[in-house]
Amino acid sequence: MVHHPGEEHVDSHPQVGYFSIFLALCGCTALSVALDIVHFTPRLLVFLVLAVAVAKALFVMVYFMHLKFEGQWKFVILTPTTILAMGLIIALVPDLSMHYYTPDSPQIRTAQTAGLNLPASPAEEQAAPGKSGHSAD
Amino acid sequence: MSHSSQTAAAPVKMGLPISNGKLALWLFLGTEIMFFTALIGTYIVLYFGSPGWPSDPEVTHIKIWAGGLNTFVLLTSSYFVVVAHESMAMGAKAQSGQDDDRARVMYRRAWNYLALTFLCASVFLGIKAVEYYGKFEHGILPGRIPETDLQAVRMLREDWNRSLDADLNRLVPGTDALHVKQASLLNEVDTAQEPRKSELKNWAELNLAFSKYREDVSANKVSLAQAEHRLQELQGKPELAPLLQNVHLRHPITYGNLFASTYFLMTGFHAIHVIVGMILFAIVLLQGRRLEQRWANFVENSGLYWHFVDLVWIFLFPLLYIIPGNI
Repeated sequence: MVHHPGEEHVDSHPQVGYFSIFLALCGCTALSVALDIVHFTPRLLVFLVLAVAVAKALFVMVYFMHLKFEGQWKFVILTPTTILAMGLIIALVPDLSMHYYTPDSPQIRTAQTAGLNLPASPAEEQAAPGKSGHSAD
Repeated sequence: MSHSSQTAAAPVKMGLPISNGKLALWLFLGTEIMFFTALIGTYIVLYFGSPGWPSDPEVTHIKIWAGGLNTFVLLTSSYFVVVAHESMAMGAKAQSGQDDDRARVMYRRAWNYLALTFLCASVFLGIKAVEYYGKFEHGILPGRIPETDLQAVRMLREDWNRSLDADLNRLVPGTDALHVKQASLLNEVDTAQEPRKSELKNWAELNLAFSKYREDVSANKVSLAQAEHRLQELQGKPELAPLLQNVHLRHPITYGNLFASTYFLMTGFHAIHVIVGMILFAIVLLQGRRLEQRWANFVENSGLYWHFVDLVWIFLFPLLYIIPGNI
């Protein structure tokens, strides 16, 4: 690929109705807030809200960031990042879905004894002296 | 002029058909995607991996109206910046065509849109500051939230102790050690004149109540309800209430510290990016009427960066504001 350095700024992409895109983005935001009001099952809500967020992100990337009109170089730059970013999330999935360890933390023990409304026992205090609370054992 | 001399006059460059600045910015945005993916991914893992994670907006003081309004403000700013970039491109085109008047109008228009973008960024940070203030006011801060009853009872002891020390330093100024000041104050109670006498007496009474409380907490004899009752009883006395205005019993929030850490980490880093964007726009705005063609690439790259800041918020809004209150 060859190009001339120092060439003037050329905006070669066709005209885009930016205001229409802006209105679509505002509509999506209103939809997100509406989803907060309407009652859905948690899974459906997460899916819908994130789907709206992805739609907004695509509007911004495709039109505001002009990716629709850029050359093939965009794939060269963005594909590795996208794969690594998705890989990071996938790598974290076992922590979410596979409870291969026994969760045991002061918070969980407190929740278990919450019904009794008892202050923490001295034994617990000895086990974690001076801790602010959120460290797992 | 020969063909070879023409080639020499216009050297070509291998590489992508975009400016070096734009290429650098896209590579930078690639690293930024990884950075925020790590933050958001960690948040998701902590959230769904922690039973009892605080999600009630009444507890976390997450205001959906603030998040929604900020989303609208950022989207508006994104629109303004893309129109500013378009105006810069039109100005550059007019300048190339020797139409200086039109070019000047276009550059002026670009400047105005960038000023509006800067204003939107300021509004965004203002709303964020209001949200942060609410968190500070309610003690939603990393390391400042009790997660068990015992921690709440002990944090009350620390707050109360700190407040008493501050009042002691006010009533007995000087550099003496606190125990010396305390002895001096207690000696002075009987001999002092009004209104100082009442002040010293109130402090002594509160100190006595605190000593009992500290003793009971050390013996692990105070439950959260008892601590609350004792505090309310003392705050009900008009003469002691002013001395206790900075003493609060914080109610335990399970995983509150992790929540606060992730919330401030994600929104804080995003806010830093907003500030960097404002600096970029300020550099262009400072050009005033000198804004011209050579700034077009800078405006485009600043705009790309700004759109990325908008993109991050597009995902933070549902993850922090909408989903937690609904599942």
